[in-house]
Amino acid sequence: MMLRPRTRLAGSLSLLLVAFALPALAHHSFAVFDHTRTLTLRGTVTRFQWTNPHGFIELDVTQSDGTVKHWSIETTSINMMQRLGWRSNMIKAGDKVKVVAAPLLNGDPAGLLLEVTLPDGKTMEPGVPAANTFARTPEQE
Amino acid sequence: MPVQLRVVAAIVCGLVALAESGTGAQRAAAPEGRDVQVLRPVPDITGSWQRLGFTVGLRATEKPNPAFLPPAASQPPLKPQYLQERQQRLQAIREADAKGQPLANHNTACIPDGMPAMMNAVFPMEILQSRGQVTIIAEAYTQVRRILMDRPQKAPGDVEPSFYGHSAGRWEGDTLVVDTIGIKETVRFQNTPHSAEMRIRERIRLVAADILWNEITIEDPVTLEKPWTFTYAYQRMPDYTLLEYICEDNREYADEQGRQQIRIEKPN
Repeated sequence: MMLRPRTRLAGSLSLLLVAFALPALAHHSFAVFDHTRTLTLRGTVTRFQWTNPHGFIELDVTQSDGTVKHWSIETTSINMMQRLGWRSNMIKAGDKVKVVAAPLLNGDPAGLLLEVTLPDGKTMEPGVPAANTFARTPEQE
Repeated sequence: MPVQLRVVAAIVCGLVALAESGTGAQRAAAPEGRDVQVLRPVPDITGSWQRLGFTVGLRATEKPNPAFLPPAASQPPLKPQYLQERQQRLQAIREADAKGQPLANHNTACIPDGMPAMMNAVFPMEILQSRGQVTIIAEAYTQVRRILMDRPQKAPGDVEPSFYGHSAGRWEGDTLVVDTIGIKETVRFQNTPHSAEMRIRERIRLVAADILWNEITIEDPVTLEKPWTFTYAYQRMPDYTLLEYICEDNREYADEQGRQQIRIEKPN
């Protein structure tokens, strides 16, 4: 908790950077996402939406109390993803994946994909512009 | 036919063939007293291009040679009233972003950028040279503009406002010179207001075998104090074929307050 003010400052600076950088780089502003923390979600894919302007990984996550919470994880444009080596069949319903995502600031169960680990252990670059401006939160055990 | 004449004829035929095969050609002054039309080949700019040093979503490329990086972009020299309008808009965008409630814009609704923003090539673009036309396709939003070659520009009153306008082009030596009018006033570049009188002039030329510069000058007697010039540099992508881009399922939308939102599948 002592690091919180610094994290906030870093977050604000990141937001500034993002505000300047993104209108020219992306389909939409990324300011809806929390730049100060990330969530690490391990779950089962219900759908991999391979579309523009953005793709989505739809994910069911079993929580510690046994209930299932559904998350919509937005990806960048599938064009950027293809240029980074992504293919539409890399993720399919039923796959167990780990994603690191920047959550929506408004608390809705959705986030921006920053890292993904596929069932075979392979990780893919997200292709998100300025992905390194999102402060990472270590995974909670 | 004397041998020399036959050689000349062969060269002329070859150049005409070159022109017809899509490489393009420019007319040279016919030698006095002759009714032949001599065609000279023009630079081959056909193919895929990406912004120089601009690698978002692309695998890291070599650092660009600084000699080919264009001059730094400048701010639009707007008249005070329009400068204020732009600054207020930029301030509103910054404030909304800082609150985590960004304002929706044309991209939220998957409306393409239009001219001249499409020339910033966020995603790669393709140039095609064919007889009488140079076509530029931007991968993002599958935007297409047609530059009609060696034809007079229309009168502004004869052009309906559109996203890409009406473009007339010609080769001046090694430079493709393009004049564009008729851009919709709602089609804004970097949140810069413009009038129906805006004219976009482009000078497109190879500065090296695989490096293309586009010097863009925007003129607008209503909104600008003076012409606004900036340059984009592009790098040839010899092995790249443009991908399709269709806004098939756009889950971003503008709410009642004009803020950008994301449709989630199962709200909890």
